[in-house]
Amino acid sequence: MFELKPWLKLIYRRPGRLFVGALLMLAALLSGLGLLALSGWFITETALVGILLAASLPATINLYVPGGGIRFFAVSRTVSRYVERLYNHDTVLRLLTDIRVALFRKLAATGRGQRRELTGAQWLSRLTSDVDALDTVYLRLIAPAGLAAFVTLLVFGLAWLLFNIQIAVGIALILSAAFLLATLVVYVRTVKTSSRQSDQQEALLMAVVEHLEGFAELTAAGRTGKHGAWLLRQAHQVSSEQVKADSRTGWHQAGSLLLVNLAAVFALWAGFELFRSGIISGPVLVLLPIALLGLAEVYNMLPEAFSKLGATQASAARLNRDCAATRHQAELEPIKLPADTALLAKDLTVKHPEHAPLLAHFNLQVKKGERVGVLGHSGSGKSSLADIFSGLLTPSSGGCTSLPCSYLTQKTVLFEDSLRANLLLGAPTASDAQLWRILELVDLAQRFLTEKDQLDTWLGNSGSRLSGGEARRVALARVLLSPASLLILDEPFTGVDAATREKIIKQMDAWLEGKAVISLAHGPDALPGTDRVVQLTI
Amino acid sequence: MSSPALDQRAVRRWLSGLTSGNRRWIQGTVAAGTLAGVATIVQMVFLAHIVHLGVIEKASASVLAPFFVGLVLAIVVRAIAQGAQAHLAAQCSQQVRRTARRQIHQHWRNSGPLELGQISAGSLAREWIDHVDALHGYFARFLPQVALSLVVPLLILALVFYLDWLAGIFLLLSAPLIPFFMALVGMGAEKLNQQHFETISRLSGQFLDKVRGLTTLQLFGQTESAAQVIEQRSDHYRKITLKTLRVAFLSSAVLEFFASVAIAVIAIYIGFGLLGYITYGPSSDLTLFSGLLILLLAPEFFQPLRTLSQHYHDRAAALGAGAEILARLGEVEPPEPAASAEIEDHDNAPMPPASIAHAETIEFRAVSLAFRSDHKVLNDVSLVIDKGDVIALTGPSGGGKSTLLNLLAGFLTPNSGEVHLFGKPSGSFAFGWLGQSGFLVQGTWADNLRLTSPSSSDVAIETALRNVGLGSLLDSREDGIYSKVAEDGQGLSGGQARRLSLARIFVANYDVILLDEPTAGLDSDSEIFVLEALHKLALAGKTLIFSTHHQALLALANRVLLVSAGEVNDV
Repeated sequence: MFELKPWLKLIYRRPGRLFVGALLMLAALLSGLGLLALSGWFITETALVGILLAASLPATINLYVPGGGIRFFAVSRTVSRYVERLYNHDTVLRLLTDIRVALFRKLAATGRGQRRELTGAQWLSRLTSDVDALDTVYLRLIAPAGLAAFVTLLVFGLAWLLFNIQIAVGIALILSAAFLLATLVVYVRTVKTSSRQSDQQEALLMAVVEHLEGFAELTAAGRTGKHGAWLLRQAHQVSSEQVKADSRTGWHQAGSLLLVNLAAVFALWAGFELFRSGIISGPVLVLLPIALLGLAEVYNMLPEAFSKLGATQASAARLNRDCAATRHQAELEPIKLPADTALLAKDLTVKHPEHAPLLAHFNLQVKKGERVGVLGHSGSGKSSLADIFSGLLTPSSGGCTSLPCSYLTQKTVLFEDSLRANLLLGAPTASDAQLWRILELVDLAQRFLTEKDQLDTWLGNSGSRLSGGEARRVALARVLLSPASLLILDEPFTGVDAATREKIIKQMDAWLEGKAVISLAHGPDALPGTDRVVQLTI
Repeated sequence: MSSPALDQRAVRRWLSGLTSGNRRWIQGTVAAGTLAGVATIVQMVFLAHIVHLGVIEKASASVLAPFFVGLVLAIVVRAIAQGAQAHLAAQCSQQVRRTARRQIHQHWRNSGPLELGQISAGSLAREWIDHVDALHGYFARFLPQVALSLVVPLLILALVFYLDWLAGIFLLLSAPLIPFFMALVGMGAEKLNQQHFETISRLSGQFLDKVRGLTTLQLFGQTESAAQVIEQRSDHYRKITLKTLRVAFLSSAVLEFFASVAIAVIAIYIGFGLLGYITYGPSSDLTLFSGLLILLLAPEFFQPLRTLSQHYHDRAAALGAGAEILARLGEVEPPEPAASAEIEDHDNAPMPPASIAHAETIEFRAVSLAFRSDHKVLNDVSLVIDKGDVIALTGPSGGGKSTLLNLLAGFLTPNSGEVHLFGKPSGSFAFGWLGQSGFLVQGTWADNLRLTSPSSSDVAIETALRNVGLGSLLDSREDGIYSKVAEDGQGLSGGQARRLSLARIFVANYDVILLDEPTAGLDSDSEIFVLEALHKLALAGKTLIFSTHHQALLALANRVLLVSAGEVNDV
């Protein structure tokens, strides 16, 4: 249960809301119980008095108090239920926002090297299903279980007060069994299926996303039908696990209701003893069993919620794991940056975990305003080197320090947003004129001037409405726009044809006047203008 | 999306279409639910009878004992029926969801990769998994409950009429108002619910997008502003949802109100009747038995309706999800028969009459295509490519090279004209395709290659990987072709990832291979491997068509075509 702890802490940050929500729930429950129990008492009382009156015997009955009570409960049940549901759903949605934002901030605080490498599909399920599982923990689990226990205690007290302690204990024992059946037993019987189910669902989601991402290649190979059938089988397997858990939950729910009903039967049976010996009156005898029947409503909510607890725990565990930094890196001695230098790398070693080092004893000093090209084969550690320069990655050994920099990563990352928003990431205060100028520089101004929305053109799924070369140039423009005095460009011209590349290189020269630039590429023709070139060798 | 009213009807038709094969399950669920309802009535009859006997007639324990046995039996039957109901309902929903998923997947295949590529894979996957799962409640809970909320209250009503017709009239009066109000309220809720689904899908798409690009956001120092955007959007979503809920909960509040008031009125009526204060109607015949039974049955009368209203959001959710699914299903017209003809079995696709199409060549006949009306990407292009040719497509970026390849693949259908490959329509048989972004799945090297060529041997896979120059990398991995490759190129450099994607083509035996910039972003080493491998394929008599700017690749080709300004010309 400890995996839920950090999230419960987040949930309990709003104690006032939670308390009010619980009170409203209690009010709704008690109103329902009160309405039935009081009505039962009232009918029995009137029946007895009616018989006396019919026999012309003297009898009195106070009609106002029970009548008023019944009317009050009728209204309070409606109002409190409505308010409670609205209020508590609001709470849940607030929690959802809290959790999402907390999660994002946690992630943003870890470096790329420390972040667990998850696929897009995994992230999707983390951010939706897993977070959704957590935000309802209070409303679905904690509050109803707490209320059921509390109301059961109240009924126990009532039974003690009206009947006697033995009967009260008997009822409490039966109800405890019902409570355990609806909570703990359901949890234990479904925890395996339900925690496994989240994993299966995730694997399924991942498989579907992969299927879609490779749809072109699969279609070409004529494999969409077969691969799709495989996916359908996976989906069916997941849902059949769910069916098993659902049906188990259903049986437990029925079992716990059976016990609650039996508690009412027991109360009636035992109550008759007291009634016959004159200890309690007929109306009181009727009141308690009817109240117990009403208790079924409270218990009814529990099994389903507890059948999902296993899944919730699994969700929390996954989120905890993925937000935690995977390894702690030794703090390296910071190197002091000389005054005229933009970047200083000393004795760097680049290696992937459990692999031989790609680079060792790498040294580089880049002066302010200097343009350095770095050439290397794919797999030579070029991109890792760029990551180290930009501070994304900590080297296995050695040290690197630099001025604040702007970095074009090898992978083109555009956001599902407007062209403007994508560019403004580089320089949040840039004017439209500046944006057009930079688009002109990467030879895209004409392309977007003919679009209806111009700067507000929506870049679709990862910019897929752009060709590969166009997306690359948007990403390049964004980096060039940045005011940083050091730029790191990793394969800046991937997918850009030679003519366009020449044009851009020429215009970049003037634009980058005075800035230090480190460009990394696989060949000299993929580099912008440089003062000197460093060759990486394996 | 078309007008919501029309959508509604279409969605309901679609949902009921899904049930057609699974009626048996729904009927079973209803039968079990009805049995539970009858058992409940019997339970209340015993209970009221016991109270009456014990309190009014002061019966002894031995007289009451058989009735107590009956009471317990009724309770047990009720529990068993409830359990069975849950079991059958779960089964039903499972069958329906399978049917829905099959439909959606069929639609994906009809749409083709180019259309699908425009939509985020995350959104589509969510539709396939979560939107379909959103149908669960509708079939497992709502539909059976609709029948139950008719049958069980009617049974109770009949019994109450028999006991005291005036009390029966009270119930009857309150009952028909309830569906009326619920329908009224439900209509508003559904519209809002549909909006709610769209918001959720957009929200999760944007959220995922931000997390995927987190490194970029970190590099530009924009994580905090992104966090704020997430917070704002999340909060906006909360407000929209609350608006939905405020209305949606009204339906259950109305019901709750009628149920509470009816119980209160009946309790007071019976009380006064038992006191003899009411001098007209049937109330003089009331006893503690009939009075108490009516009171006990009153909540059970409303219970099925209350359950129905609790499940009302299931209906709204299913309609919302259904509308999204249906909008997607209706978004793309099935492609022209020429392009869609039997994608299933490439091996034995029926040959179309080849009277005009030549079986030994690839032909473009007067093909035109425009994405925007003012700009034709290809204008009346006619072209013949011989079998075994190695064709390089060159030209400015955005000039139509990719479009030409997509037409050859059958991913695009021309506005006019025809494309034939060896006498068959494009896309009607298996071929090699390498897009601008390579694609890897989680799993081993072997998994990745067997994805498109499931029957290839270990040796063939290893050879293919060595053909694209991944041999040394393979040797460095412990389990060879059975070691893991991470998705999205993480763990592999860009060049290596692309070569793996390329290896998939080498392991299969395709006649035609289409490659979109096969050397873009590769270093000179990789280039040499790719060129060599392409050369081998060309020698084996394969027809290769690729777009490129690369000199060495242009040299490899025996024919170079310039694609520019809507025209295709030999260089």
